[in-house]
Amino acid sequence: MIARSRWSRGRYATPHGARVTALAAVLALTPAACAPERPPAARVASAGHYFGSVTPPRENILRMNNGAEPETYDPGLAVGQPDGRVARILFEGLTVPNAKTLAPEPGQAERWETSANGLTYTFHLRRHLIWSDGTPLTARDFVWSWLRVLKPTNAARYAGLLYPILNAEAYNKGQISDSTQVGIAAPDDTTLIVTLHDPTSYFLFLTQFYTYLPVPRQVLARWGNQWTRPAHIVSNGAFTLAEWRQQDRFEFRKNPRYWDAASVRLDGIVAYSVEDLNTSVNLYKAGVIDWTTANYIPAPFIPYLFRYADFQHQPYQSVYFYSVNVTRKPLDNVWVRRALNYAIDRDAIAHDLLKNTRDPWGNFTPRGYPGYTPPPPIGFDPAKARACLAKAGYPEGRGCPKISIMFNTSEDHRRIAEAIQQMWTRELHLSVELSNQEWGSYLQATTQLQYDVARRSWIGDYLDPNTFLACMVTGDGNNRSGWSNPRYDALLRQAGREVDAAKRLAILSQAEALLLDESPILPIYHYTVNDLVKPYVHGIYPTALDTHPLKQVWIDRDWKAGAPALADARARMLH
Amino acid sequence: MLTFLARRLLLIVPTLWVVATVTFFLIRLAPGGPFRSEREIPPLARAQILHQYGLDRPLPEQYGRFLGNAARLDFGVSYKYPTRTVREILFEAFPVSAELGGWALLFAVLLGVPLGVLAATRQNGVADVGAMSLALAGISIPNFVLGPALVLLLSLSFYVLPPALWHGPASRVLPVATLAVAYLAYIARLTRAGMLEVLRQDYIRTARAKGLSEARVVFKHALKLGVLPVVSFLGPAAARIVMGSIVVETIFAVPGLGRYLVNAAFNRDYTLVLGGVLFYALLLIVLNLLVDVAYTFLDPRVEMS
Repeated sequence: MIARSRWSRGRYATPHGARVTALAAVLALTPAACAPERPPAARVASAGHYFGSVTPPRENILRMNNGAEPETYDPGLAVGQPDGRVARILFEGLTVPNAKTLAPEPGQAERWETSANGLTYTFHLRRHLIWSDGTPLTARDFVWSWLRVLKPTNAARYAGLLYPILNAEAYNKGQISDSTQVGIAAPDDTTLIVTLHDPTSYFLFLTQFYTYLPVPRQVLARWGNQWTRPAHIVSNGAFTLAEWRQQDRFEFRKNPRYWDAASVRLDGIVAYSVEDLNTSVNLYKAGVIDWTTANYIPAPFIPYLFRYADFQHQPYQSVYFYSVNVTRKPLDNVWVRRALNYAIDRDAIAHDLLKNTRDPWGNFTPRGYPGYTPPPPIGFDPAKARACLAKAGYPEGRGCPKISIMFNTSEDHRRIAEAIQQMWTRELHLSVELSNQEWGSYLQATTQLQYDVARRSWIGDYLDPNTFLACMVTGDGNNRSGWSNPRYDALLRQAGREVDAAKRLAILSQAEALLLDESPILPIYHYTVNDLVKPYVHGIYPTALDTHPLKQVWIDRDWKAGAPALADARARMLH
Repeated sequence: MLTFLARRLLLIVPTLWVVATVTFFLIRLAPGGPFRSEREIPPLARAQILHQYGLDRPLPEQYGRFLGNAARLDFGVSYKYPTRTVREILFEAFPVSAELGGWALLFAVLLGVPLGVLAATRQNGVADVGAMSLALAGISIPNFVLGPALVLLLSLSFYVLPPALWHGPASRVLPVATLAVAYLAYIARLTRAGMLEVLRQDYIRTARAKGLSEARVVFKHALKLGVLPVVSFLGPAAARIVMGSIVVETIFAVPGLGRYLVNAAFNRDYTLVLGGVLFYALLLIVLNLLVDVAYTFLDPRVEMS
């Protein structure tokens, strides 16, 4: 369902609101904050049952499914998750995420300092860093790569992720043409000084995002947009690209020139581009691949997979919701929107319809943001819903115009829409119709507000509620509901200026409460990450952002099925 | 003969022009455009991308440019995969689809024709009923059922063959079999029908009366005309099968053309759609021409004029 909806490809630019003030609290991405509340895999891990073949591969090579064919794996221009995974295998940024907690750890930078006001970051790169072609890698490579992302003619879709940097937005939008005014400087080969617009507490988290990865300018200068071809590409990460066949596979080899090559235990990685979910699981079961990667498993398999020790299940920073077009009657009436919101039985959808593979969700922001206390969720309350509808002037739904639910083609979207159609008809006596649209038409209808109620979903880019709430600001390109509320906009601006982390999160919580009360969005469920990893593969952990550094992954080629000590170790690992 | 061929070859140009024009405007009529996504692309970046591809120009100008470039077989870069040209994508993916389709068609003909002949010569006998029941099953079972069933049996229950991917001879077996079955069944039915009609004709009775062996009658005299329906089916069938099957390519993760072309339409990847459609049209025209030529060799009554 997910691949069909193109949802899984979409890790897109944070909206312009990435410029937010807060303190270092967010950077403490503690394991507790990311830990699943109920890890079902761990419960049964000691039983030692695995899904399909568990014969370790003969070669010391990790075989994984990377999913849909990447559009491009040029780090500065990459957009989708499969694109980003390839970019991250090849390149290393200033900081790298911890494999379990995603907390930033030294990468190309061995250490860094933050100024007292939180506006200046000084990164000290490791000495003698080199690209895989032997060219020295210096702080100037980072300056050049980041400015390349911001250069307007390069049309990098994720340029917005660099907007916390001073003047980055103005330069990217063509308001200033002098790139030296952008707050990035390299006074010498190993020092990179970054000046921010506002103290962005999650900045070190951003520097591990693929848009911030360095690119080899010597190769770009020579080959232009052909530089990512296997014959030309040069990288600075743990692996280099040996081969790429479109719609088929990427072959990576260990990079002997990587600064930490001694701790890289794999000889290589083969990443297949298998888009079909059933095929992905078939390959895993037959032992052709060792890791499905997140969500390349058909939804109906998931309840059945809970019993296997090699199945990982974890809440994911993403919410499935209905967007309400507030420019249309009767949805311009807040009481109608509230009625619709209270008349959705989220438990029934998540538990019965989706067989517990998702969590019912009544908030716009997902769970697990450190320090953030979300407002009370919207619950199922038919009596309240009816009262709201009566207040709107349509008691028992009398006289209320027909409402249409639009969704893009997918069996799951249809089933959910049918369930909600029933709920609104049963509880509110509304007349509800369904409208199924093919992907391109769906995108046009949502962006141009040609719908009543539309299915949507949103994935966070960093662990902070701002990555969700900023979408609903007046006129934001991702708002797509026509909703505009001056108080909401003011609260988000206020949070952006707030230096105290706790106060800032409290303001954001107020904003979310206002959003839920106004109901331009109707949250439905909380996504989960599901993947299968063979028991002989070590070092791939479930994380809240579907980010998996592969540098320290290793394969136990002597692994034997049913070794209880290892099964237990794995169970502990999942906690 | 030569005039016929020359005329047919000359007709290719206007035919392709019509196909190109219709496709060019139809794909632009489809709602949405190539650079839309579930998350907003910053307006400036979008404008820059549109400018880069000339999509901000008036439509007639875009059309003129497209025709000019297409005449030089240049379709530009794919909008979805901006580091690759449409030509590169077609040239890399087509051989894969052609190999898969070629094997499938070869098996379909090599097994389907004898099966049809067998059924026709034993009309209403056990062999006929058996062969035609199999053929009916082959036509009726869709490949999205047959493919996974074969995988379940031969890859997951008994690991005899790999479940997917396109590496080495073993990986060819399941996709070729899945793709071939429906064609095989259809060819068997066509052959049977064609043979039954021919076997009733006077010249066959004459041949038998002259005392020729049954094998000689069937294979030397009857088969040549009996397979004519198969030959006319093979032209468009070959064009279709070598352009790739989205279903088989998806189930078996085969890096062929079928998936590209279907997804290109969904993604509004104008350049890839146009390149793919024109390529398919050309293939179809050429194969149909070959069928017409083959007819003159098989059926003495047909003349090229």
